[in-house]
Amino acid sequence: MDALYRRLTTANLKNSPRLWAGFAIPGTVWLTVLFVIPFYAVACVAFGTIDPVFRDAVPQWNPLSWDFVQAKQIFTSLATGPLRGVAIRTVVYVVCAMTLCFVIGFPIAYFLARHAGKRKLLLLVLIIVPFWVNYLMRMLAWVNLLSVDGLFTRFMRNFGINYNWLDGSPITVTLGLVYGYIPFLILPLYATLERLDWRLVDAARDLGAKPRQAFRLVTLPMSKAGLVAAGILIALPMFGDYYTNDLLSRSPSTEMIGNQIDFFLNASTQPQNGALLVLALSLFLLLFMSFYLRSTRQQSRQVTR
Amino acid sequence: MTNQPFRPMGRRDFLRNLAITSGAITIGGSLLAACGDSSSPTTVDGLPIGTPDNPIKLPVTTDAIADGLPSESGTLEILNWADYQNPESIAIFEEKFGCKVVTSIYDTEEAAIAKLRNGTFKPDLILGMTDTGLAKLIAADLLQPLNKSYIPNFENVISGLRSPYYDLDSQYTVPYFIYGNGIGYRTDRIDKNAFAGNGYDTLWDSQFSGKLGVLDSYRDTLAMAMFRAGNFDANTTDAAIIKKAGDDLVALREATNPKVDILAYQEMPAGNRDINFTWSGDLFTALQYLPEGVAPDVLGFWYPEKTVAKNDFMCITKTAKAPVLAHQLINFLSDTDNALLNREYVGYQPALETITVDLLISSGTIPESLVEALVTPEKYDAGFAQVSLEPTVDSLWLEQWTRFTAG
Repeated sequence: MDALYRRLTTANLKNSPRLWAGFAIPGTVWLTVLFVIPFYAVACVAFGTIDPVFRDAVPQWNPLSWDFVQAKQIFTSLATGPLRGVAIRTVVYVVCAMTLCFVIGFPIAYFLARHAGKRKLLLLVLIIVPFWVNYLMRMLAWVNLLSVDGLFTRFMRNFGINYNWLDGSPITVTLGLVYGYIPFLILPLYATLERLDWRLVDAARDLGAKPRQAFRLVTLPMSKAGLVAAGILIALPMFGDYYTNDLLSRSPSTEMIGNQIDFFLNASTQPQNGALLVLALSLFLLLFMSFYLRSTRQQSRQVTR
Repeated sequence: MTNQPFRPMGRRDFLRNLAITSGAITIGGSLLAACGDSSSPTTVDGLPIGTPDNPIKLPVTTDAIADGLPSESGTLEILNWADYQNPESIAIFEEKFGCKVVTSIYDTEEAAIAKLRNGTFKPDLILGMTDTGLAKLIAADLLQPLNKSYIPNFENVISGLRSPYYDLDSQYTVPYFIYGNGIGYRTDRIDKNAFAGNGYDTLWDSQFSGKLGVLDSYRDTLAMAMFRAGNFDANTTDAAIIKKAGDDLVALREATNPKVDILAYQEMPAGNRDINFTWSGDLFTALQYLPEGVAPDVLGFWYPEKTVAKNDFMCITKTAKAPVLAHQLINFLSDTDNALLNREYVGYQPALETITVDLLISSGTIPESLVEALVTPEKYDAGFAQVSLEPTVDSLWLEQWTRFTAG
């Protein structure tokens, strides 16, 4: 153990670049096996062909032989064709759902981190417990609650709200997204807020800042990294989500890009279209990732200064 | 009744996939026209494909089993859709033949055939395959011809299906269930006479906005729009007709905000839908989902004069370890009483001539309001078949479907 400790001392580590590199091996293997290779396979399907006899996707493993004809069609459809509406709708739903998640989730995370006191753990568990139940099961429960004679629908009628929630409603789908993903926002946000140096907020207050000013000028900037990380964490799965729409709407008027991917991959004779949409979505999500990476890099620079 | 959209693949998924796969195999109209000789195989890219106009006698590469062999002891392995056989029927068969039946489930024909080709599935008997799946199974040389001496109940099969277009002389297949496309509706909300005057137009009526559904099956639903417009080729290659069907479905979407799924059998009995374009068999399954106290005759079905009618079948694999037992089970399920028992669970209608409309009604399991949902041999003969489309035509169909579903 002593020998290991000595090897892991800062001085030794600085002189042992191979040891540092060694730490990256598991992650590199993990990423290669579970991300890079599968992603390359998706690209090979997207730019591949279809078996003329059995109509299976035939991946084209050689990038030099990739066929981009179908890709052109799909991207044209996304830009000006039938898929354009789906793409726009997906962005709108996700932006609305994310906004609601922040509006609801940030105060909860803030309260947990700042004011929950001894009840912090209990409250945290209470927030998490419902999400031990499978996502599908929770959504199916909502389907029953929101049906015409469902408990929730009947309850809302007491307040004069007679709304057919499952009538292919964008509101229902957006709220479904919020419900499904909000814990994934609260938890990382709570982790960030809990680590904040609240003495800075106290200092701001001592120097005359009003609570709102202290929040806007100190708390919010300090929690930016957590906000961005939490936002990314929920945005990525939301963009590819199709279960929520399938369960709570099933109407073309609320179709999201994930539904189209599901259709092309599982229920059509053109699986490469599904793979192409996955690539298109990935390209789009890269923008988010770039923003996140840029943001964290800036953060680390500020810390090291 | 609990909604169960995410469940093991069942009959409705099967029918949707059937329509999908019917668009999955390459065959061109010009080629069809050129293949008039029904006695020789019609092959395209290695696939033997029959159509009603050009029925096919499939190639035989191996002999059927000999006559009079004893049944094997041990296990009979079946490959089937989920919930597509009555466990009670299977238990009776096991007791009668002193064997054990093990069932594997498949959820798409493509996946099943892929796993049959690579050896993941090694069943003796396959249930529920369709003509397009058959073409692939034959191309991959996965089936053995049947010895009908083991299947005396074959004479119960609907006469029009004893030598079907996809397998002349039924060398490899015995029909299992039949169905037709039509409109299910709630009799407590829609007068059945509404269809007499309006027919398919009823689906475009905005009064059903939010309470209407159509099949999540691009071949079935686009074909329905074509029939409404007076175009009765369910396999059309005409881009203008396909586009018109797409336009009409977009109009339907704008008028009624329909649900696009395969859940009519749950949503209609639950009262969430007034009307649904669906498969006839769904209405029989729906009877099991009626809430307590709701009379069965709340469900009705309009069977259009111009519509699609299809069937699936049973077949035995070339590598079957218990081929005699497999033949025996086909014969067992083709027996009238056994088929009725099987139907009680599955819901769909056995493809047997002996199971008449009168017999089903007298059995007391089908309300008068659903008599129209029963497929008679005459209806089956009058129905249109969906055959495979060449990829470029299939793309046209998919393009219009995307216009509809993309909202």
